[in-house]
Amino acid sequence: MTTIFGIPAALLFGQLLLGLINGAFYATLSLGLAVIFGMMNIANFAHGALYMMGAVGAWFLLDAFGVGYWTSLFLCPLLVGIVGILLERLILRRVSHLDHLYGMLLTFGLALIIQGLFRFAFGSSGLPYAIPEALSGGTNLGFMFLPHYRGWVILVALVICFATWYAIEKTRLGAYLRAATENPALVQAFGINVPAMIMFTYGAGAALAAFAGVLAAPILQVSPTMGADLLIVIFAVVVIGGLGSIKGAIVAGFSAGILEGLTKAFYPEASTTVVFVLMALVLLIWPAGLFGSKTQSASTSVVLPALANETSLMRWALFAAMALSLAVAPVFVYPAFLMKAMTYALFACAFNLMAGYGRLVSFGHAMFIGTAGYVTAYVIKGWGFPPELAILAGTASASLLGLVAGWLSTRSSGVYFAMISLALAQMIYFVALQAPFTGGEDGIQSVPRGVLFGLFDLSDPAVLYVFVLLVFLGGFLFIAALVRSPFGQILKAIREHEPRARSLGFSTEHYKLAVFVISATLSGLAGSMKVLVTQIASLTDVHWLMSGEVILMTFLGGVGTLYGPVVGAFVVVAMQNYLAALGAWVSVIHGAIFVVCILAFRRGIVGELISYVSARQARSVAAGTRADAPDVVARRLKAGA
Amino acid sequence: MSVLEARDVSIAFNGFYAVRNVDFALHEGTIHAVIGPNGAGKTTLFNLLTKFLQPTGGSVYYRGQDITGEGPAAIARRGVVRSFQISAVFQGLTVRENIELALLRRSNLQWRLVGHARRNTDLVRRADEILAQFGFDREADTAAANLSYGRKRVLELATTIAMDPDVLLLDEPMAGLGREDIDRVAELILEAAQGRTVLLVEHNMQVVSRLAERITVMVRGEVLTEGSYDEVSKRPEVIAAYTGGGH
Repeated sequence: MTTIFGIPAALLFGQLLLGLINGAFYATLSLGLAVIFGMMNIANFAHGALYMMGAVGAWFLLDAFGVGYWTSLFLCPLLVGIVGILLERLILRRVSHLDHLYGMLLTFGLALIIQGLFRFAFGSSGLPYAIPEALSGGTNLGFMFLPHYRGWVILVALVICFATWYAIEKTRLGAYLRAATENPALVQAFGINVPAMIMFTYGAGAALAAFAGVLAAPILQVSPTMGADLLIVIFAVVVIGGLGSIKGAIVAGFSAGILEGLTKAFYPEASTTVVFVLMALVLLIWPAGLFGSKTQSASTSVVLPALANETSLMRWALFAAMALSLAVAPVFVYPAFLMKAMTYALFACAFNLMAGYGRLVSFGHAMFIGTAGYVTAYVIKGWGFPPELAILAGTASASLLGLVAGWLSTRSSGVYFAMISLALAQMIYFVALQAPFTGGEDGIQSVPRGVLFGLFDLSDPAVLYVFVLLVFLGGFLFIAALVRSPFGQILKAIREHEPRARSLGFSTEHYKLAVFVISATLSGLAGSMKVLVTQIASLTDVHWLMSGEVILMTFLGGVGTLYGPVVGAFVVVAMQNYLAALGAWVSVIHGAIFVVCILAFRRGIVGELISYVSARQARSVAAGTRADAPDVVARRLKAGA
Repeated sequence: MSVLEARDVSIAFNGFYAVRNVDFALHEGTIHAVIGPNGAGKTTLFNLLTKFLQPTGGSVYYRGQDITGEGPAAIARRGVVRSFQISAVFQGLTVRENIELALLRRSNLQWRLVGHARRNTDLVRRADEILAQFGFDREADTAAANLSYGRKRVLELATTIAMDPDVLLLDEPMAGLGREDIDRVAELILEAAQGRTVLLVEHNMQVVSRLAERITVMVRGEVLTEGSYDEVSKRPEVIAAYTGGGH
């Protein structure tokens, strides 16, 4: 048998073919993402769900109505395209005038809802779908055996890629699209209906995703979760190619697939991570990806809610109220729930420091809480570390990871930053899945709590509770002080107007990296504490759903407010605890809350509360007869509006 | 002696030269204006001097030192501070916080993670002085977003002065201002220019003739001519460039 570099030729060609097929799917999917991103500046988190709708739709049409493959190949993209148009028209358009991050968060919520509904309707096991008769069988090419269906997939993907590229780069419609991306108002002034164009673009992107789904149905596992994990790889591919670049999406898609196939042949353990490693390497050399031009359009900033006249007395009173109620709460509420909620609250506060005050919305924060958790659990179980040293080790590992990840990602901002952090986190996830010391699917279980400083036995629930409470309050106070410190002021300034901050002589990249590392460190502290509380470190903590959850907590409670993340964390953890019995519905409810929160009360629970109180203050001042200071009144009115 | 100097500086975007082989020197203690029709490369030259753009050819010097490889923040720390064409204030911060921020950069507090800047009495006193100097005493605690456009431009100038820069680069300081504001801002610039070097890009010729001692005319990315206002305004090629003849 012939071998190449010690690998049997048949195996090598087989993996290469598989890689090419995966590459075809990557390219078709990232193409749709790139088109949507180029037009709307939204990283479409619903793309995986739309792809899944195509595949499951094809299965459903066959199962229920006997509709065959070829009809589905046209019907599914059409139906999903209509769904896409409706999503854009009814939901996404409502936030199109805001920071594009809101659009991204909306698609994230929509993805959760769609996936949850499909899981409810179709279960989570695989659904069988046969290869159409005309394409069954294969041809022996001499050096390898080529199944006809696989050849068809590659061929049709190439045709679709070329057609899309041609339509956007070479036709008049494409020119309008590209022009509208740069200056929608101007194109509108030419008499072109830009909102309708955006709507149809999103529909076309959705149809493209569904088409890939139908294409995948006969050879990949059809299930309601099939889109979720693929999506993260697609994000990495799009980042490699350069966000919004059609050419980049195609080239990066096929290259990533082939590289993955080759890795499977030579070093199978790394095949799931290789795309993310490639992404990190590409970003080191070209921060905007291979073909990215990096013209991030200016985004409207959202003013942070703040009380018009808060005094330090008020601040301390609020803090004391929180501390006291948490201290007496175990009498009324299950302490394990409270401790879990406090660790998540600390995590959310750390996330908020970056997302709210630094306007760096990370989609990969799970990597910090998860890594710290694994390290803490491992040094306790494997090396017998006492809890204080284990916490230190876990927190330090998160800081270190934060330094590396921050260095790679803070050179970008907005949606770019979110996607890069997500891809980096996914890299950590695969390491956690495969590394020998993490226990794979089982995680590290029954971690002993130990004796803190040799004095306090943490296996005593009361001692543990006090310890968790103190760490949470300490972390909260630190963040509260940081936000008001000179460093916090500079962060706020960078958030408002980065070029101006640079022109004043602030090396903004250092500040952004610093806040990233601080946030990672505090998240790590939360992760270490979580291991002491739950006595387990597992994959769920490094999964991207965890990153989504912390975003949900922060936005639900109120991004950019001190107490918002705390409130959000308690609400979300309570939901998890009390709605767990509902199974698949939990993710639907999560998604729905996400969508409602972003559409209806963007400032979050605490943010809306602050605005309401400020507005009332302004009104009561206005009602009073303080004729001597009309400008004060006007100012407060404005602040409250 | 030249404070800021560009030698044979060029920048090309996809083969198009926005600035081409420009030699330019800014002399100590002068107020120097760069004028020229739209698209002449004035703002691009500005961005090259402050390193918001990296030149594709040539070098930039500050007091004889090559700063071509430095970033915008490093240049600002040397004392070369710029303003922007579109008013650049920190909207969500109050007027006082805007000023304090500029002062913070020159203090040793900027990496202070806890504690409040207000505790530093020197900083507060200096902020009060600047607030008074620019007539912001009554608006100190207003969010900058709530100021009128003219006042925002004045605030931007105030934060720039708070940096106590060596060289002041003002990109169209009068853009979008009403007539009465223009006079006041011109006064403020003259005042700020005491003991400093100022470079400004400006379209308003009255302002240029009143403020600038030296004028550089740019056309299509190149330096057309240089001299005092009277010299420059009489040259036929300048008149041609402005009336659109050009060839």
